[in-house]
Amino acid sequence: MNANPETLLEVKNLVKSFGKLQVLKGVSLNVQKGDIIAIIGPSGCGKSTFIRHLNLLEKPDQGEILFKGKSILGKDVESSRIREQIGMVFQQFNLFKNLNAIENIMLAPVTLGKLSKKEAEEKAIELLERVGLSEYAKHYPSKLSGGQQQRVAIARAMAMNPEILLFDEPTSALDPEMVGEVLKIIRDLANSGMTMLIVTHEMNFARNVSNRVLFFSEGNIREEGSPKELFENPKDERLKDFLAATKH
Amino acid sequence: MKKFLWTTFALFLFLLIGCSDNSKLANRVFGINDLKHKKVGVQIGNTADIYATDFGGDTAKIQVERYSKLADAIQALKQGKIEAILCDNQPAIAFVKKNPSLDILEEVFVEETYAGVIAKKNTSLLDSVNSAFEQLKVSGIYDSIINTYINETSNFHYIPKTKNAPKLVLATNAQFPPYEFHTANGIEGIDIEIAYFIADFLGRELEIQDMEFDAIINAVNSGKADIGLAGFTITEERKQSINFTTPYANSKIVIVVRKNSSSEQSLSIKELFYNNLIKDSRWKFIVEGLGNTLIISLFAALLGVFIGTAISFIRCTNEVTGRLKILNRISMIYLAIIRGTPVMVQLLIIYYVIFSSVNVNKILVAIIAFGINSGAYVSEILRSGFKAIDPGQVEAGRSLGLKFGHILRHITFPQAFKNSLPAMTNEFITLIKETSICGYIGLTDLTRGGDIIRSLTYEAMLPLLIVAAIYFIMVAGLSTCVARLEKRLKKNER
Repeated sequence: MNANPETLLEVKNLVKSFGKLQVLKGVSLNVQKGDIIAIIGPSGCGKSTFIRHLNLLEKPDQGEILFKGKSILGKDVESSRIREQIGMVFQQFNLFKNLNAIENIMLAPVTLGKLSKKEAEEKAIELLERVGLSEYAKHYPSKLSGGQQQRVAIARAMAMNPEILLFDEPTSALDPEMVGEVLKIIRDLANSGMTMLIVTHEMNFARNVSNRVLFFSEGNIREEGSPKELFENPKDERLKDFLAATKH
Repeated sequence: MKKFLWTTFALFLFLLIGCSDNSKLANRVFGINDLKHKKVGVQIGNTADIYATDFGGDTAKIQVERYSKLADAIQALKQGKIEAILCDNQPAIAFVKKNPSLDILEEVFVEETYAGVIAKKNTSLLDSVNSAFEQLKVSGIYDSIINTYINETSNFHYIPKTKNAPKLVLATNAQFPPYEFHTANGIEGIDIEIAYFIADFLGRELEIQDMEFDAIINAVNSGKADIGLAGFTITEERKQSINFTTPYANSKIVIVVRKNSSSEQSLSIKELFYNNLIKDSRWKFIVEGLGNTLIISLFAALLGVFIGTAISFIRCTNEVTGRLKILNRISMIYLAIIRGTPVMVQLLIIYYVIFSSVNVNKILVAIIAFGINSGAYVSEILRSGFKAIDPGQVEAGRSLGLKFGHILRHITFPQAFKNSLPAMTNEFITLIKETSICGYIGLTDLTRGGDIIRSLTYEAMLPLLIVAAIYFIMVAGLSTCVARLEKRLKKNER
């Protein structure tokens, strides 16, 4: 039970059903600080549901999630305190439509009292610069392209200084020409030492950026390993089929 | 928009010119026997209504048309919508004097006496009022009043002496000359002079509450008023619910009919404007009414938004988090009741039942009634605005560690509000127009202001068209403002 001091997140035997359909069938995983984990697998295999559990957007039927050695599922745990430390980037960006780019980034740190308005603004400007959008601070989401919206969404998640950043298919809703700009930002973050879990369909990206790859199929992790192992020497039959199918 | 406004305005003008001619039917009444099967107008609650309904049995029934004001019946008679009016003698004389095309038949329909009404439980007041009536006759003041208003041989006005004393609240219906009617100086008439005398006699200060005739007995019984004087005829039926004072006047119910059609001269538009607006500063009724309508609409809308926002918060919180169960249940009951009953009934209940024993400002009552009513609709409009929001917005908020309240305030409510704006505008347009029922609790709103002018001039067209035009301008103004706001908010989104 003793958590490795480097272990940020420990998932044990996570089970979740939607009605009669069992989506997660006992998933376990350890995430070390600095890990960049790519989660791949066919659609509907439960990988998005899994990652949403880590942000407490879903409650598991069974299993345990420990963050820095402490359970985050107990009734006495304030979920909002956990979520502050585990950021999330969504497939559909989900920028607040009624706020412009900089307000989107500033809202949470100011509302939760993490930063003063002035500090938050400075931080937001810095983050916007980092994602290459400093000129778009006053633009509302509807005036931004998909790629720009996703970059603002990443900056918004970063504004809370999370320990872990979760990406739920961050490029799936983007036009092909915008995928690159978003992946570049995620790669930059990876290089800065951020702990990340990324659900993705971009195989090359998964291979180049991550240090661990999880292959999800039918509600569980079927194979796990370094990108080299997984992509060059897959053992699981389904993984082989999956990789073959994604090649063309 | 401007073009549209002008077109509508032109239409009003066209109506104004087009309507000034009114045709009359040849279906005339010369005596009581001619009343069978005819359409005959009466005032709701007046004893003439009872007599007219009973008249002729099953074979020669009168088609009784009931009006809340005699002035409306007079207009209908002039326009040929009805063939005769049954009403009390003295008001009939006053009406006919102003309408040369009408006449009173020699044949009297029925004779009766008038008395004041006082609540059954208030026997001490009844005794003192009866003593006051005795004193009124003994002192000769009664004769002076009758000489002034009926014989027109005197110009006596009773001057009350008591000031700053407890109120004696008089309920009346100032559409009944010469007993009570509106003038530029307020409400005057025989009953009003008598009421001032009674108030003085009791050492109290008179307060006049003008309301619909059929609302007076309720008002007196519920304690909204101490005494009702409005040409009440003593009937057995009324005696069951109220006590009558000593009778103070004899009256007859007479038949008012049209004369030969030739005698009516139609007024020019200039004269119409003079009669309805300029003469005796009658425009003041419109201005006063407009002021009240604006105040009521504005504050009722604010109250409605406040209540609606609170209720929609409760309901959305309950839907998303399952909390606030009891408040949610209360909200559902509130919504069911308010949306399931007419706003008019709600207004009457709030005035006559909930605030029955309190002497409460009528404008406040109207604001509360319309605010509570509007709140129900606003909350449902907002709720549908909440439902239209992408759930991803809430998830994104939660993923950042924001609590439900933060998300509601900063993210979902502003978006729901914007989503709801078109439907909300509609609700406020409805609200402005709905306030036109305020007259039922005797409040002079815009519609009632026009009605008072109508009761003074017996002219339907101009006051009604003016009132309609003012409502139209208010609604058009509101629509324009919201359209601008919407445009500004649209900049932020597709």
